[in-house]
This record gives sequence, C-alpha cells and structure tokens, in this order.
Amino acid sequence: MSDYQHPKNGILGSGLRDGLSLHPVRYQWAYDLYNQAVANTWFPNEIQLGQDLADFDKLSDEEKHALKTVISYLNPNELLINKSLAFGIYPYVNAAEAQIYLSKQMWEEANHFMTFEYIIETFPFDRKDIYAAGFGKKSLADKADFQNKHLEVMLDPHLDIYTLEGKKQFVRSLVAYNIVLEGIWFYSGFMVGMSFRQRNLLRNVGSLLDWITRDENLHLTFGINLLLTILDENPELQTQEFADEIRALILQAVELEKAYNEDMLPNGILGLNADYVNQYVMHMTDRRLQELGFEPEYNVANPAKWMAAANDTLELVNFFESTNTSYEVNSTK
Amino acid sequence: MNITVVKRDGTREPFDANKINLALMKASEGLPDQISKVVEVATQLQLTLFDGITSQQLDEAVIQTALQNVKDDPDYDKIAARLLLKNIYKSVLGDYDNAADLKKLHVKKFPQFIAKAGKLGLLDKRMTDGRFDLKRLAEALDPTRDDLLNYIGVMTNRGRHSLRLQSDTANHLETPQFTHMRIAMGLALNEDDPTTAALTFYEPMSQLKYLPGSSTRVNAGGAFPQLSNCFLLEVQDDMESIAKGVRDAMWIAKGTGGIGMTMSKLRASGSPVKTTNTESTGPIPFMKMIDTAIFAVSRKGLKMGAAAMYMENWHLNFPEFLDLKQNSGDPYMRTRIMNTAVYISDEFMKRVEKDQDWYLFDPAECPELTELYGSKFSSMYQKMVAKAEAGELRTFKKISAREQFRQILITLQATSHPWLTWKDTINTRALNNNTGTIHCSNLCTEITLPQDKDNTAVCNLASINLAGHIIQTGNTLAIDWDQLAHTAKTAIRHLDNLCDITKVPVPEAMKSNLDNRAVGLGVMGFTDVLEQFGYSYESEESYDLMDQLMEFISYHAIDESADLAAERGSYPNFKGSGWNKGLLPIDTVDALAADRNVKVNISRKARLDWDKLRTKAKKGMRNATLMAIAPTANIGLVAGTTPGIDPQFAQIFSRNTLTGKFLAVNPNLVRELKRLDVWEDLKEEIFASQGDIQGIEGIPDSIKAVYKTSFQLSPYAFIEVAGRAQKWVDQAISRNMYLESRDIDEYEKIYMEAWKRGLKTTYYLHVKPRHQSEQTTVSVEKIAEKKIRTGGATRGFGFAKRA
Repeated sequence: MSDYQHPKNGILGSGLRDGLSLHPVRYQWAYDLYNQAVANTWFPNEIQLGQDLADFDKLSDEEKHALKTVISYLNPNELLINKSLAFGIYPYVNAAEAQIYLSKQMWEEANHFMTFEYIIETFPFDRKDIYAAGFGKKSLADKADFQNKHLEVMLDPHLDIYTLEGKKQFVRSLVAYNIVLEGIWFYSGFMVGMSFRQRNLLRNVGSLLDWITRDENLHLTFGINLLLTILDENPELQTQEFADEIRALILQAVELEKAYNEDMLPNGILGLNADYVNQYVMHMTDRRLQELGFEPEYNVANPAKWMAAANDTLELVNFFESTNTSYEVNSTK
Repeated sequence: MNITVVKRDGTREPFDANKINLALMKASEGLPDQISKVVEVATQLQLTLFDGITSQQLDEAVIQTALQNVKDDPDYDKIAARLLLKNIYKSVLGDYDNAADLKKLHVKKFPQFIAKAGKLGLLDKRMTDGRFDLKRLAEALDPTRDDLLNYIGVMTNRGRHSLRLQSDTANHLETPQFTHMRIAMGLALNEDDPTTAALTFYEPMSQLKYLPGSSTRVNAGGAFPQLSNCFLLEVQDDMESIAKGVRDAMWIAKGTGGIGMTMSKLRASGSPVKTTNTESTGPIPFMKMIDTAIFAVSRKGLKMGAAAMYMENWHLNFPEFLDLKQNSGDPYMRTRIMNTAVYISDEFMKRVEKDQDWYLFDPAECPELTELYGSKFSSMYQKMVAKAEAGELRTFKKISAREQFRQILITLQATSHPWLTWKDTINTRALNNNTGTIHCSNLCTEITLPQDKDNTAVCNLASINLAGHIIQTGNTLAIDWDQLAHTAKTAIRHLDNLCDITKVPVPEAMKSNLDNRAVGLGVMGFTDVLEQFGYSYESEESYDLMDQLMEFISYHAIDESADLAAERGSYPNFKGSGWNKGLLPIDTVDALAADRNVKVNISRKARLDWDKLRTKAKKGMRNATLMAIAPTANIGLVAGTTPGIDPQFAQIFSRNTLTGKFLAVNPNLVRELKRLDVWEDLKEEIFASQGDIQGIEGIPDSIKAVYKTSFQLSPYAFIEVAGRAQKWVDQAISRNMYLESRDIDEYEKIYMEAWKRGLKTTYYLHVKPRHQSEQTTVSVEKIAEKKIRTGGATRGFGFAKRA
C-alpha cells in the first residue's frame, strides 16, 4: 500500500481552506440535492395534532407501546446522526457543494429531532417513560453498541483521510450512519408510524412522517452518491475483502433490528406483527445492497404494499382537510 | 404459530382460513381471475395475523389487505368495497345470506331505523310525525345500487355522512341506501305529498346521478338541519362587527358550513382610533382570530373548520396579508388553517398590463372603494391616486402594479395562496346585483352572492354526476340528454325546498337565505366523461362538450326555477334583478366587455332557444342564483368520479382526505390498457413514473393524448374549459390550476389570460413537486436510475458480485 496516492481534487480531504469555492461545481448531484433540500424546508408546527390526540385514546396498549418505541428510538437518534455528520463526515468532505448540502442536512436532522419533541410534548406521554421505553431491553442495547462501535471511530482525532485506512474508516462510518441507521433502521420505524394512517389514525403524525421521509430520501441519495464517488475515485478501496466486510456490517445490522422488532411488537397489532416488520427490513436491506452494487441477500417481497398509497405517488390533498405537505418554498425568479 | 381469533363476546376460536376464502370469493364475484385474486389476498393476509386478533380487527385486516393491491388492479378496490359493505350490512341489519335477503332486511329495518333514530332525538320531528309513508319508502330501497360505490365512496359515506349514535360514533345506524333515503326525506318535509317527493329525490341520488353538498348529506332529516353549504360574511370596520364575525364563524363552522369572509373594510394598521385616541392594529391580527376560531370548532369531526379570507389588493396591509400562509415567521401573523384569496379589480389588471404604478390606501380614507366595482371603481380609484399625489392623504404607498402581481404569484407558488379572484367580473356579470355589492367569494370560490352588515349570504349546493348520464347504444356512447334535464330539474326543486328547511343560528344568514333563495347546481365527472368518449381535456371536442353541457343544464335549471316561481312565487328580492330585466347569464358577457373595455376572449355560441326562456324568467324566478360549480372534493368520492371539472390529477396518485389516504388508479385507463392486453406488462412502469404514461413505450399515442396528467395539460386548457362553462354559470366555478412550471413570467401570462377570458375566480394552484420520498414499493433498479447520479465508471461494490 506504500504506492497509495490520494487523488487530486477528490471529494475527500480535510484542509481547512480546501473546498471553499463553489465554482466550478465538480459534483453536480450534490449541488442539485442542496437546492432541492432548501426547497423542501418545513416546520413541525405547520401541522396541528389535535385530531391525533383524540386518536391516541383509541389505541390499544400494544399499539401505544409500538408508537412509543418508534418515537423513543427515532428522537435521540436523529441527533446522533447529526453528531456523526458533524464529527465524522463533514470534516472530511472537500467540495463546497457537498459541504453546503451537509449543512442543510444537519439542520434537517435538528428539525426532525424537534419534530419528535413536538410530538412528545403534545401527546400525553410521560417523558421519562418515553426516554426509558425500550431501554433496559437487550435488543436496544445491542443496537446502541453497534452504533457506538461504528460511530465512535468518527471522534478519533488521528483519523487521516489521506491514507487508505483512513478512507476505509470513513466508509465504514458512512455505511453505518447512512445505510444502516438512516436507510434501514429508520425506515422500519417510519413504516410502523405510517401504518396507523392506513386505519385513519394519527393522520397528522403521518403528515410529519411524510415530510421526514421526503428528507430522508435526499439524505440517502446523498450518502449513496458520496459512497459511490469515493469508491470511484479511490480504486484501492475496491477489494473483495473490503466489500465483504461492508456487506457483513450491513447484514449484522439486520439481525440486530429483528431482535428489536420482536420487542417493539411482542404480540402484534392490527395489520402488523414482528415477522411482517422483519420482512420489510429485509426487503429494504436488499434495496440498499443493490443500490451499493451488491447482490440482494434475502429476495423477499415488500410486505407493506400499502406504502404505495402512503408514500410512492403524487398526493392530491383536500386542502381544507389535510395540510398539503408537497409544497416547496423557494419560488423562482 | 397457532392463531386464535377473539370474538365480540370475548370467546376465542381458531383462525379459520376457509371462512376468509369464502368471504373473499363472494366479494370478488363476477371479476376476472377471481381465484387468483382471492389467493393473493388470502396469502398476504397470513402475513399480518397474530394470535389474539379480534374478529373486528380481522375484518379490517382483510379489507386493508385487499386494498393494498389496488396498485396492481383496480378490481381489488371493488373487493374491498364489497367487504366493507358486508360489514356495514351485518352491523346495521344483521346476518343475511343473499341479495334477496338483503333487500328484505332493508325493507323490514328501515321503518325501525327511522323510529329508533327519532326516539334517540337524532331526527327532525317532521320525519316521524306520520307525514311519510315509511312502508312505501322502504320498499323503494334498492341495495344493489351500492355496487356503484367504490371503496373510498363507501368509506366517505360511512365516515362522514351516515347517521351514527352520539354516544358511540363507531355505531352506525345507516346503510348507504338508508342514508340516501334519509336525505331524500329531509328535503321533502315541506312538500304537499312528502312521500312521493322523497321518492323523486331518492331515485337519482341513490343512482349517484346527482348528490347534494356534504353539509346536506350530513344534516338532512337530522335534528339540527343546517343544510346550507356556504356562507359569505363581510366584517365592518368596528369592534362590535369583528366580534360578531368571530361569533358567526364559530356557529357556521359548528354546522359544517364553509366560510368566505372579507375584512377589506378594516382600517389599516397605524390608522387612528378615535374612541381611545390610539392607533389600530389593522386587519391582520383579527384574521388570526378567525383562524383560531375555526380551528377550535371542528365541524363535528366530520369536516374540519374551514374558511377563506378575502382581501382587496389596494389595502395598505395587503403585503402582510400575502404572508399569512408562509410557513415561517411570527405565528400571530400566520393563519395555518384558514385559506386566503385576493379580490382583484379590472383597474389593477390594466395597470399590470401597462406596467403602471399601483397605490395602496387605508380604507378609513376611502370607504367607497369596497362598495364600487367596474368602471365606477376605476374612477374612484383614480381620484384617490390624484389625492395621494396631491398630498391630501394621511398615508398611502406607491408600488409597481406588475411587481405586486408577481409577488402575489410568487406567494401562490410557494404556499398555494392567495387564490386569484376578480371582483369586477363577479359583480358586473351578476344578475343579483340589485341587492348590493358582492364583497367576496366563498371557501371554494364558486359562490358569488352579495353581503353587508344585515345580510350574510348563504348558498345551497348540489352537483350532477355527468358520468352518470352516459348511455351506450351499440359501441357508441352519448349523453343521455333527457335524463340530464330531469336530473337538473329534480336537483333545483330539492335545492329550493332546502331553502325553507335549513336552519342557521345566524339571523343575518337566515334573512338572506329566505330573501334570495340562492342555490348553486354544479357538475362533477367531466373528465370521466371525456375519457370514456376518448376526448383529450385540451381539445376542441372537450371545450365544445363543456359549453354544450353547461348550456343545457343552465337552461333547464333556469326553466325549473321559473316554473317554481309560477307555483310557489318569486324570491322576495326578484324585483329589479337582472332576471327581472330580461337578462340571462350569457347576456352579461358582453356587458362585462363593455364596462371594462377589454375583450372577453370566449366564444358566444349558443344552441338553445334562450329568447323563450328570457321572457319566461322575466316574469318570475324562484331563486336569485342557480348555478355554481363546486370542487366536489368529498361528494365526488361518493359518486366515484372525477371531481368537478378537474382533469385527472395523475393516472395513479394518492388522495389525502379526512377519512385517510387512498390510492387512486384511473379505471378508464386500466380498462383501455387491459383491452390492449398491455396493463400487466406496463403497470409497474406506470406506477414508477407516478401515473405518467407519456414516456412509456407500448401505449398508443391516441391513448396518451387522452390520458395526460394534470401537470402535462396546457394551463390554457384549464382556463378555456372554465371560460366556456362560465358563460352559462351565473355564479362561479372552483377552477383548480395545475402547473409544472415554476417560472413566474409564465404565471403572469396564465393568470392574465384567465382574467381576459372572463374567469370570475380561480381556486388552488397545484405545483408539481420535484422530489418525494423513496418509492419503496417500486423495484430498486427503477429507482436507482433516478437516484444514482455520479456517472462514475464503477457501480459501487458491483465488482464484488458473487454467484
């Protein structure tokens, strides 16, 4: 590896004065994503939760448990993602268009965090209860261990992004936060959260989740494009061994998630049980693997076909009944 | 896993897959590939089961599972609808075996239902005082008509319109046919022969040939018969009137009515207040009060409180008004729930065109402006401008008219508000302008009635389902004109009855309602008809059909109102009205052109004998207004057709409504593609492209031309369709707009053209979103094409692929 040369003008680098000029734009995809992210700006208090409060009373204990578990997981982890970006990703990205995107993404993570705060404050949740929900359970502790293991390296002040090992470390962190946390673990939570709306419950929480998943799609798109770019610019990373390691890392995360889902849905609720969510997680994992160029692992169908209506199509809103979540804020000219 | 089901009585029984299969077989009777559909749903259902599921949850799970397959075939919607209907029948009527049983149960239980609901205090006393022959009514009930409903229709009817127990809102008392009959009775209470009249209304309604507005569907025959749909209030420039405005808004919202309101008369912020020797805060904080008031009153949970606030754009506080719907900023200067609309004069449009200055005034210094319209407004406005330039005003602001127009359009793009409506077109063309100025339109921009401090305008709505008026002879489809005339006349009679039955706890509204008897008959299903006829929305055939349909409906509506006047007398304010002067809606188009001195670019072609009708209407009319095309966002769902005169949003899209989020797949397109035997091969691609078929190979161009998404149609087609309809409509039209462009220069041209072609109002602007959430039900390869944009040589870890 002694002949390793850091590519000139690559997307990775850590010089304080590097990458301060936007033009010429080297990574058009990053610039496009930034512009779209700005247009997507929203605030949680645009959505009123009054009706959802009434719905909450109608939920069974199992349903309340599932909802609390989802929120108690997503809330702190939005902020954890933010830390990962701040310490592990942003410092090593060397292109103005990618940096401005990451800055917007960090604000979005903060906004998602505050969105879950908004829900927690509005609903009759016992705050301690929410923060404690799931804690003490082995499944959650195992997920936290995984996160800590892969994200703590981001805090390493000695990481040298100009070395091959430094880059590997960066890629591992990127996969852990972006593919695993944002791309797989979060999605099972979103799916469970949105499933209530299928039964016309918690519609407005559903609208907030619409916005969050709209943002997440950009986050993932950015992460995947970043990853592919790094692989492209650094052919030395393209070894069978490293590929196997990354694949194994993703698959390990799936096992952790399955155990967690058993705890979230010990008995099942209408339309959902742990097996169902597990199949969804496996399906989503296959998607992520394929997006990274891997072969799929599980080859299972998406059990949540209803997500077609929830998330996949243009939405026509009865404005005087639901908040329109598909507007964008930056009018041109 | 051993799965047991918990029954209603708490006992458990093992899950019986066969029982589910039988129910699915029944619900899919007559559909192609019945067995494979049943197997599909049953297999998917297995995934969602868990031990201890209740029988109710199981019923719901079966429906949801059927429903999630609509993306693959709209037939699954039919299955879900029938399953849901079966649950409703079982809970309202009890067990039954076959269609004959079901009919018998309807006949037997209907009188019992009326008696029970009466005893519970849920009905108008007149429903149970013996005036109705309940047996005869019950025998007319035809449950086979429920098969016309699709899933969202059954849901909407059950979730919003059907009568339920107050103490247990999940406990429904009505099947869909009970609902239709209860409504029909509620509108026939005051007829000489109420039973026959109820049957006359029931027949077309139960066949979904026309439907009344939601407020009527919810409240007709009920103990609180607030049947009117729209209310238009003007707030005066004093504290008492503002407080009354809040009070009235709350009462109207409580009765599920929609509110249009104007505060253009309120003095601007900084304007002196004599009584306290201080300065006014202007209208904005008071608008916020209305927003809060309607949020607090949620229309029985069946509809959300809803209002639109209007403002004229010469008001000094108009810039703050524009910001009311922005998503950031001082929450006391933002209205999250309430909608906004701008009320625009011809003077402004002309100044925009000539790129001239525009002046903003404090209404305290020019109280005349809100009362004047057309050329008279222009001369007063110009007088004010001269005063301003001469330094005779306390305050004013001078800006570029074009700049303000652009600012309105920029805000419209970002927030879908304010809607653009034209004051002078509305007033100059009005036949009811003998009773004062129309100061605003309503919640859905289709009502144009005058209001002042003593009159709160009220309108009562119904809409004809055009798609319910197609007859097939051989292979050709045509409009059933005779039925259409009959439906229009029936609907007008029903609406006229409604005027006497409706109750509103706002005296100014009751007064205006009875003095004017204003009604609005509209249409829905226009695009549905176009598709079935094979016409493109943006074609001459389409414009002509709209023109012809609205001329015909308008003709028969006016004719019926004139007949009713002969039978029951003219409305109290008839004298001096346009009708009384021998004017008809079509006659006012040229009057508008003359007054504004700008051509109205719309064909004047007419096909019917209007001279005859002109003479007849001159003698007497029962109603001050007759036509208005509402958006039919809810009743369109019950009718199962395209709403109002709207185009197809996309061939596949989701609807987010108060009853939930539903996938809509255009059944007309699927039928065409199945006929060509390409649906199975192309459905995933159509879905991945979000219901846009234009780029898909294997679909003939002739079909592509008919099935464009709303964002692909020319915006001028929306204007032309509305312009043709507006010739014949004495009130206005909820004209939704759909644009893919984000170029404000284009917006300027489009909205300028809308004014030129004589549109009175426009409604929501839908701008095509550029980005959405991940389509997790679309194959990852399809998504990757869009997602991966690095253009790199390698595809990630693709090098490491293993067998």
